[in-house]
Order: sequence, then C-alpha cells, then structure tokens
Amino acid sequence: MGSRYLIRKVVGAAFTIMLIVILNFVLFRMMPGSPDRILLRNPNVSAAAVAAARARWGLDDPLPIQLVDYLKSTATGDLGYSFKFHGEQVTDVLLSRLWPTVILFGLGEVLAIIFGLALGAYSGWKRGGPIDYIGNGISLILYSMPYFVIGILILGVFAIGLHWFPTSGMLTIGGGDESFGSQLLDFLGHLALPVTTVAIGLIGQYSILMRSSVIETLGEDYVTTARGKGLTSGRILRSHALPNALLPAVTLIAINLGYVIGGAITVEVVFNWPGLGTLTVDALEARDYPILQGIFLLLSISVVVANLVADLIYGRLDPRVRA
Amino acid sequence: MRSPLRDRFARTLAAFGLALAVLLPAASARAATPLLLRIGQVDDLDSLNPFETALELGYEVFTLNYDLLVNFGQNNEPVPGFADSWTQSADQLTWTFHIRDGMKWSDGQPATSADVVYTYQLELNGTKDGGSVGLGYLDPYLKDSFVSSVTAPDPTTVVIKTSRPTSKLVSSYIPILPQHIWKTVTPANVGDFKNNPPIVGTGPYQAVEWKNGQYVRLVRNPYYWGKQGAADQVVIQFFPNAPDTMVAAFKNNELDYIHSPSAEQLNQLKTAKNTVTLATEGNGFTQLNFNAYDKPIPSGGASTTALRDPAFRDALGYAIDKQTLIDKVLLGYGSVGTTQVPAWERNWHVEPNDVRQFSIDTANQKLDTAGYPRGTDGTRVDKQGKPINLRLYFPSTDPSYAKDAQFIQDWYSQVGIKVSSQGLDADTLATDEYLDGSKPLKGQLNYDMVIWAWQGDPDPNALLVILTTSTIGNTSDSQWSNAQYDQLYDQQNQAATDAERKTYMAQMQQLFYDQAPYHILYYDNNLDAYHTDKFGGWQTQPAQGGSPFFVDGSINYTVLTDATKATPAPTPTVNAEPTAGSSGPTASVAPAPAPTDTSSGSPLPLIIGIVAIAALLVVILLMTQRRRKATDEDDE
Repeated sequence: MGSRYLIRKVVGAAFTIMLIVILNFVLFRMMPGSPDRILLRNPNVSAAAVAAARARWGLDDPLPIQLVDYLKSTATGDLGYSFKFHGEQVTDVLLSRLWPTVILFGLGEVLAIIFGLALGAYSGWKRGGPIDYIGNGISLILYSMPYFVIGILILGVFAIGLHWFPTSGMLTIGGGDESFGSQLLDFLGHLALPVTTVAIGLIGQYSILMRSSVIETLGEDYVTTARGKGLTSGRILRSHALPNALLPAVTLIAINLGYVIGGAITVEVVFNWPGLGTLTVDALEARDYPILQGIFLLLSISVVVANLVADLIYGRLDPRVRA
Repeated sequence: MRSPLRDRFARTLAAFGLALAVLLPAASARAATPLLLRIGQVDDLDSLNPFETALELGYEVFTLNYDLLVNFGQNNEPVPGFADSWTQSADQLTWTFHIRDGMKWSDGQPATSADVVYTYQLELNGTKDGGSVGLGYLDPYLKDSFVSSVTAPDPTTVVIKTSRPTSKLVSSYIPILPQHIWKTVTPANVGDFKNNPPIVGTGPYQAVEWKNGQYVRLVRNPYYWGKQGAADQVVIQFFPNAPDTMVAAFKNNELDYIHSPSAEQLNQLKTAKNTVTLATEGNGFTQLNFNAYDKPIPSGGASTTALRDPAFRDALGYAIDKQTLIDKVLLGYGSVGTTQVPAWERNWHVEPNDVRQFSIDTANQKLDTAGYPRGTDGTRVDKQGKPINLRLYFPSTDPSYAKDAQFIQDWYSQVGIKVSSQGLDADTLATDEYLDGSKPLKGQLNYDMVIWAWQGDPDPNALLVILTTSTIGNTSDSQWSNAQYDQLYDQQNQAATDAERKTYMAQMQQLFYDQAPYHILYYDNNLDAYHTDKFGGWQTQPAQGGSPFFVDGSINYTVLTDATKATPAPTPTVNAEPTAGSSGPTASVAPAPAPTDTSSGSPLPLIIGIVAIAALLVVILLMTQRRRKATDEDDE
C-alpha cells in the first residue's frame, strides 16, 4: 500500500476529530437550559450555593474562555469533572462504563458476523432453497425490528417467564463466592440475554448483505469460467465467490463497529447494563456537559477510526481505490 | 471430508463441557453466604459526600452510613442518635447533649463530642457570611435553629447555644462525620472531597463499594451501638430510566424491595405471591404554579398581566377537578391537595376554610366578576384587552404531568382560556421558571403556568420558604410576593412554642390558598413493594400508613428479621388499614398461594413468545411449500 495514501487518510481522520472536538463544545452550549438551575429543585438551596456551584463548574467564564480551557485540557487527556457525580473525573467514569459496552457489543458483533455471514452465504449459494426462504424471511424481520423490541421479547420469555437468566445488571452483587470461576459464570449468565439481543439485531443486516453479494458474485464471468474448468461447487464458493463477496461486508462491519456506543443505548437500558449507553441517557437528563462531551468525543473518534480502518482494508483488498 | 469436521466439533464441545464441569462446582459450593437486602430504585447515586448529594437516594445512603445528632423515630419524633440523651436549659437557649459512652466509629476509633463540634462547626463556618457548604442543601438546619455556638466541655458532652428558643435543633438532618477522616475538609474544599468507600461512620451500615451506574453496597457496622437488623449487607441497585427492568428484577426475585414503581406496575404486583405493595402518604405535592411576577419583563415574563391578579388565579382554581386527576392520572394513588404544607405533616397541616369545589359555572362567574370578559371568539381578554392564551409547561420525565396538562387544558377551554401545553426537559424548564438574579432580567421567566412537584423536609419550613419574596431570583417558581406572608414566615420560624408556631402556620396556609400562587393538585403517594419470604419484621415510618425505606433516617433497617429463621408465619407487620375514602394510604398483602404452584412469575410472556414463534414457523413453512409447488409447475 502506498504510504501517501496512508498519510492522506490518517491526516484526514485527525482533522475530522479536531473539528468534532470543537463542534462538541458548541453543540452542548447551544442546548437550552443550564446545569446549575436544576439544583434549585431542592427547597433548601440558597442563592450562594448555586453561585458557588456555577463558579466551581466554570459556568461563569465567557464562552471563548471556556472553549480554550476545554481544548487545552482535552489535548492533555483531561476531560474535567462530572457535574452529576460530584468530584468524579470524567475519564474515570467513562473508563468504568466503557468495558461493559465493549464486551457486550464486541461479542454481539462477533456472533452476528459469524452467524449472519454464514447464513447469508449459504442462502445466496442455495438460492430459492428452504434455508434461503426461512433465513431471508427471518433476516428481514430482525433487520426491521428495533433492539428494544427484541430485548423486551427476550427478557419476557427467558428471564421473567422461564427464569433461566437474570433480568438485569452485570453481576450478582455480594453473592459471597468470590472465586473466579463462579464470577465468570455469573457474568456470562447476565451477559447472555443482552448479547443475544445485540447479535439477533445485527444478524439480519449481515445476512441480507452477504446473500445479495454472493448472488451477484455467482453471476460473474470468472465463476462461470471456474465452473467451466470443472471445479467443485465447494471450491468455487470458497476460492472464488466468497472472497469477492466479502468486500462489501467488511465495510459494513467496520462502520458498524464505530456505532457500537450509539447502538448500545436501547439494549443497555432494557437490561440495565452499566455501560456507556445508560450513562449517556443519564448524563443527558442531568445536563452533565463534561460527561456528554466525553461520550461524544469517544463516539466520534470510534466512528472516524472505524472508517479509517475500513478505508485502509478496502485499499488493501481493492487496489483501485488507492489511486 | 465431512466426518473429520464433525469429529473436531464433537471434540470442541467435549472440551467446553469439561471446562464447564470444572467451573460449575465452584459456583454451587457457596460458603456462608451473607444475608443480602437488595433494594431497587430509579436513581443513580451522585455522591457519597452528604454535602454533595441532590438525591433522595443520597440521603438514604448517608443516613445509613452516619448518625444524626438526634435521629428520627418511627413517627419522626426525636430519638437517640449520635447523642443518647439531651436537655434544654430553663431559658430554652442552651442545649446539652450527652454522647454515648464508649461509642466507636466503624473503624474502631472512639466517637466523641469532638466529632460533633467538627461537623457543626464546618456548617457554621461555611454559612456564616451568607456562604454555603457543598450544594447547600443541609445549610438551613442549623441556620433555622439559630445556633450561635457549639462546644465540647468533655468527650461525652456537647453544648449548643441558640439565639432564640427553638425545637428545630432536634430534627436537624446533618450527619455527624468522623473528624479523624474529614479533618482536612473545610467549607472551601468540601465539594472536592469524594468520601470514597469504605465509609467510616457510626450508622448501622457503611458503604464499602460504589459502582457507578450499578449499585452501592453497604455492610453491617461491627461497632454499631443500636439494635442490629438481620441483613448482613444492604445493596441498593440503580435503575435510572429503567423502571420496567427494575420491576422485572423484583418479580424474578432478584430484588427484595423496590421504591417508586409506576402506579400500573404497583397494581400488577398486588397479586404476586409473598409481596406487599404500599401506597403511602408522601411529604410533598404536585402543583400548578403561575408566573405572578409583578413587573413587565422585556421579551420575557408571563403572557398576560391577569396572572398577577389573585382573583384571576382563584377563579382558575374552580376549573380543576382534583379528584378526577387523582383517579385518572394517579390511578387513585394520591389525595386532594390544598395547602403548601402536605397532609403528611400531621402536626402542621391545616385545611383552609372555603375549599374550592370543582365547578365550571363558578369559574366562569368568578372570571366575569373579576373583570375578564369573553371576546368575540369566546376567548377571555385581560384588562389590557389582550386575549388570554396561557402556556403550560411541565417536565417530560414524568408521564403523569402530561396527562394532568391535558385535563387542565380541556377544563380551561370551557372557561374561555386557551392553553397550549408542552413538555420540556427538566433542565430547560428549570432555567425558564427560576429567575437568575445574576443575569439581566431581559428574556427571563418565559412561562405562564408549570406543573411540577416539590418534596418536603421533616420540618415544614422547606415548603413554606419557597413562597417567600426572598426566594425570587432563587428557588421561587411562582415569583409571588406577599409582605404579610413574609412576615408570618419569620414569625413562625422564630416562634418559641409549637402551638404558637402552628397559629402562624395556619394563617400562612389560608393566605396561600386564597391568593393561589399555586394550585396544589394533589399530595402524591409514595409507592413501594417488598417480598416477605426473605425478611420479616417490617416496620414503617410513620407507624400507621408509612413506608419502611426512603423515609427520614434509617431506623427501619435495624428491625428487619430473617424470615426463613423465624417460626411464625411471615405475616408482615404492616398496618393494612384502608382509610376512609379511596385515596388514603393503603397497603395490600398478597397471601402465598397453594404450594402446588411452582412457577412464580406470570407465564403470559412465555405463552405469547411461543405462540409468536410457532406462528412464524407455520407462515414460513406455508410460503416455502407454495413456492416449491410453483417451481415444480414451471418445470413441467
């Protein structure tokens, strides 16, 4: 791969992130309402206390000064203090909520990729067969279903109805047995339903994309040539059709990875999963600017990085885009 | 080529099974599991520092961690806390508190009068020049008690002098903090003190773990001076924005107690086995408040001068059918509201004379008499000849406000007043309806009416003060200013005896009701539910018609018993006396069904799920069959 192509893409991504950082600041200040006013919902609060909070949160400074402070601290990796969780550093809060989301969506993505692509490839290969019908039908239904509907259905059947899995949270608290094995099992038990929801929600789009992609590839001349050479069906699929059909799927996967946090919100709320999704909703309600800025920064960076990765992989797979 | 693959698969499966087999015994062999009390509620804890919490949950946690100098008893009466006894001097200006002999903090350090002096001095220093400590929510307790000095002549004695006689000192909500942990904390840096777990306190349970977005876990204080509850640990789980999930977890027996489910959810739980549902009188109200600001505001303020007129506001009160709101919006879980002192304040609430009875006709007559005739299109006009179109806002967080707004919109249209209602997010609304004294007036107070709620303190001052003139520019959401009310507020606050205080307070309630800066729509019930098969001995505050938790202080945690060990039947000690009238506090206890019933949850979702999947399969099968038939015919 040409190094100029690489440099161009990386610089582009860095510039995008810069713009996002500034936009991030402006966007939240444009929302109506100021975070200190909500403190007045307690009848005991004095004017002095609200003024003190404003000063401590830096809300009294003029906007340009707030922006400069914000840029300076963001550049050094300091995202400030949360308004709602008084005295907690934003980076600490984000880090504690990041990994549950990454595990939930990472695993969900992996499952969806494996099952979705396999189902799509098989459906496309055996086009018109029963698997294609059932698979494509189900995929279409799942594709059009929002996560929270899938989540509520699964919750109703497997947690409330059958009692097979816990309804919410990430770990059983204070269970007494602290051994690694039981903790892991407990975690997996809590993870099962939300991860299934994520996987089911994603399988549809992967399978539909893969199916049409395989069908398209199978009509190409080189597949006909391969058939003419007398290759077995399996060989044609594995060596000729699949690698080419995977190209659009790679893009979709890379872009989807960027939207991990965005997609997290509804699933996490349904299962009360302590990740970035539930944090986002909570921070929005409390007008916790520093937390929201942190989340949006993380979200934007992950989208930009995922796009960059998609570009680079694409460039590697398809020499034409490098020009 | 196929069988090796199958073999490989089988081997993988076997390996996985083996791994599970290794892990499983670890899970089953649980050694001496602590008895957990698991509580679910809908907030996410904001801070473990008592001066930095804005949530009911924060108060619940700090009253578990710490003692107040004098705790709240079962009927909110003063009971021993950090001090085990106290006396008041003959001139009523000097209080002497005796600190329990040999009391220890949860880390084993001695707990003495020096800790009381440290804590109260922190408050006094922080508030002396009009300043505040942390969020300032705890500031009024010593200020309103007129405390002038706090001293400790010896390790078990605290002497507090007040500049006026008062009984409020013994209902102060300030937790006594350990000086040896807090010694570096001053009013200037209290906001930066995180008070990380493990907490050191003298309360019954101390927080040892706080997981943001998940839970706070408290363990029993080994040195607790009082009666110990059966729970070894208390886990309070957070379900922000997820009340459905909380109720599902409760039904699934993952929680023992839930606070604030919705009315519909509470009704569903009434028939669940081993479950007590509680709807109890709350210390707060939901109100319709007006913007009565008495001066014009450029590009801001109320849309009509009529809102400044008590006669206009009074007339609008006749066009609100409060009982209908309670029945239709709250599903009966509330009582008709009248004054700013909720009926929960049994010692202080006084029903006003001449309570308005709902009548559209009366409202119309009163509006005519007050000088607001109907215009040509039927809309009433104000004294400047401007049609009265009122904007009604409410926070969009609580769906009941939107329903209230719809009813009010409909009733007001019948008296010739057009209302446009809109839900706003809490922060935007708070910015609209509070005057920001630090900013120019222009563009502020852009509202006419708001539906929102207030929560009270054990002392009625908190809900009385928000209507005084001095809070305009701060917590006043009505901008109502009345010199007589202000004077009465000071008089009741300075009253030497409760009887004297109550006479002033009665006048304040009548004045408020007649002047109608708010119409109190209802006193909301607190909704709670708990299971009775794990813990027994449930006690409530107040003893009649109260709730066990999320009340004042933590006394009810210390009386729980282990229901599995107790020999008598697990009948809860809740006073399930339905009061006269449909809206009073009620408790319902569902008896345990016959033991043959093995599935405890409702099987409905399961049935729906199975039916849906089966139907889907049938449809797909039919489609495939038809399609195959069609291809077969094509081939022929």
